[in-house]
Amino acid sequence: MNYFVKGNPDLCIGCRTCMIGCVVAHEGKHIFEVDPDSYTFNPRLHMVKTAKISVPVQCKHCENPACMAACPAGAIQMKDHAVIIDTSKCMGCKSCMDACPFGAIDMVTEAGKFQADGKERVVANKCDLCSGIPGGPACVRVCPTAALTLVKEDELADAMEKKRMEAARNLFRDNQE
Amino acid sequence: MKKNLGSFVVGDSTKCTGCKACEVACFAVHSRQNNPVGKTVGTVTVPVTPKLYLTRFEQGCMPIQCKHCEDAPCLNVCTKGAISRIDNQVIVDPEKCIGCKDCMQACPFGAIALLPYAKDGKLAAQAMGETKVFASKCDLCAGVEGGPACVRVCPHQALRLVDPEAEAEEKKIKAAEALLMTKNWR
Repeated sequence: MNYFVKGNPDLCIGCRTCMIGCVVAHEGKHIFEVDPDSYTFNPRLHMVKTAKISVPVQCKHCENPACMAACPAGAIQMKDHAVIIDTSKCMGCKSCMDACPFGAIDMVTEAGKFQADGKERVVANKCDLCSGIPGGPACVRVCPTAALTLVKEDELADAMEKKRMEAARNLFRDNQE
Repeated sequence: MKKNLGSFVVGDSTKCTGCKACEVACFAVHSRQNNPVGKTVGTVTVPVTPKLYLTRFEQGCMPIQCKHCEDAPCLNVCTKGAISRIDNQVIVDPEKCIGCKDCMQACPFGAIALLPYAKDGKLAAQAMGETKVFASKCDLCAGVEGGPACVRVCPHQALRLVDPEAEAEEKKIKAAEALLMTKNWR
């Protein structure tokens, strides 16, 4: 099973530290030293704030990913319990963006890479569960209120088993009465 | 996040009946710019050249058209600079196109066809008399009042104009609300 990061809206205070942690993990600490106007901040998860809630939203790493099915370039693959975009194959067709029901994919400029008309390359960008980064997802590590959890197969299976046992106990109690 | 992505039109094969009203409307609105094509069949004196293509496949049918890619392979491959990005949309200039077919081979959607080029109600001729052709693909009805004609004319609402950024924002809010509903998942 693919893993995923899940936000808890009750704990999230909307501070956006997860977004900064994400960019630092993927691009390095030099982002704090460059001129902010010369730099495009491209986090792979996005803070949603409504009147009711604040919580970051990111890729669910679906088991049958709609983005992967929609990609005409074969740029989206499942690897190491995650759905990962190979941006070198991406041509920015937005099919994945349209296919994803969670709004988890954005299109971002690739600094220093250009198209034939001189415009910077624009490619799909989404959570890769910090694939290859020691310590796992940076958003989970940096959240000051521990509002983000990396959910793995065992945890999900344990939670389901616990709920089934609780349901069985309740039904058993009903039958006894 | 990158702002101002190109919009595009997508078809829905569960609604499409294959009537080709989209292809005809596409041809009609674009021909009005350079050719004296009116609103009835009798006014058409040039070949019908749509910019989207009704496609039949195993499970049904639907029109296929350009996605206006952000790193467009057709634009990148064109040696004549006949394909450019204008107001975020990928547009072919038929006057510059020499019919080399590179864009057709680069496009993974089959969204481009080489079709005869007509101007002022007549087929445009080349030096040796052959008809000039051009790479015909969706321009999202640039300059056409009311937006994409295919979307407007479809009798089954099987075509949708997609603003990818606005739709992603709406989907993010729904995903956040789903997190609220599943917060006690353990």
